[in-house]
Amino acid sequence: MKLYAIALVALLPCLAATPDVDKGKALGLPTAPIRMEIFSDFTCPHCRVLHEETLPLLIREFVVPGKLYIIDRAFPLASAGHQYSREAFGYAVAAARIGKYQEVADALYAHQNTWALAGNVWDCVTAVLKNPADQKKVKELSKDPGVLAEIEAEYQEGVQAGVNETPTMVVTAGGKRYPLPRAPNYEILRSLLNGFLRK
Amino acid sequence: MDFYENKVLRPVLLAIRIVLGAVFVYGGYVKLRAPWPLFGMAIDSYHLVPLRYIEPLARTIPWFEVVVGLLLIFGRFMRISTATVSLTLAIFFAAMLHAFLNHQEIDCGCFGPGDPISKWTLLRDGSMLAGSLFLTWMALRSPRRMA
Repeated sequence: MKLYAIALVALLPCLAATPDVDKGKALGLPTAPIRMEIFSDFTCPHCRVLHEETLPLLIREFVVPGKLYIIDRAFPLASAGHQYSREAFGYAVAAARIGKYQEVADALYAHQNTWALAGNVWDCVTAVLKNPADQKKVKELSKDPGVLAEIEAEYQEGVQAGVNETPTMVVTAGGKRYPLPRAPNYEILRSLLNGFLRK
Repeated sequence: MDFYENKVLRPVLLAIRIVLGAVFVYGGYVKLRAPWPLFGMAIDSYHLVPLRYIEPLARTIPWFEVVVGLLLIFGRFMRISTATVSLTLAIFFAAMLHAFLNHQEIDCGCFGPGDPISKWTLLRDGSMLAGSLFLTWMALRSPRRMA
């Protein structure tokens, strides 16, 4: 009984840490020594650069070897020019529910210049989700209160963490959180992550 | 007229010296507490310094700020320390102004992340530069004594 109680107490931090992560939007092992949350918006050009140029490097060098756990966080911007952000996040988070987040996120960033102006977000999503059953599920889930609540909860979490621009990366290592300046140079980012791994 | 004998100017100079010194010590301390690449990213975001100089600068500037800040607080080597602070602040201010005028949406990097360059940060650093230049001028006028 005593052993059971100790094990339960030891597991409490894990139980507290995991529910806030949508595993469909995460990359890598949750047990990795470094955790990186990326607060981004599908309509933000800097976020596209991060997604298309920096993220593949991070995946290859740190995520694949199990050193880094990356979590995408929704931070839909509300200012002019970002009016389709929430709709895009609705589809992306819904796609995460059926394990298709990365495909949809890739497509949304790749065609950002088109749908962010014209508003045909769904056309962009269907171009990558070919299966009609997947399309139907994502369409339905995008209006699901749970999906909408997740987007809002992540946005509020970003606001509380002091996020005021996108993309903002927040790195957690050794129990400390470090918000990074926007769009850091990859060489310097690598030095930071390697520094954490050496500790 | 000897400004250091002036009962109004003397405490004003002392206050400027202590405040500037404390700001420098605090700025250096905040940067030293975090890993150097965080400050390196802030320097790099200005796009003014080649990448190979980022690490040496990010590692040395915080120590430099602490040392110069302590010299100001304790009133040592005033001609050199005030001139150094003025020059440093002039460089920081010019870099921030350049970023602001070029619509670069970046952090100031002055006291860690989360301090975007704005009219407020320019006003803050501009005021510090003005105070520092005044202090330097006074120090150069009176080589032996300082508030």
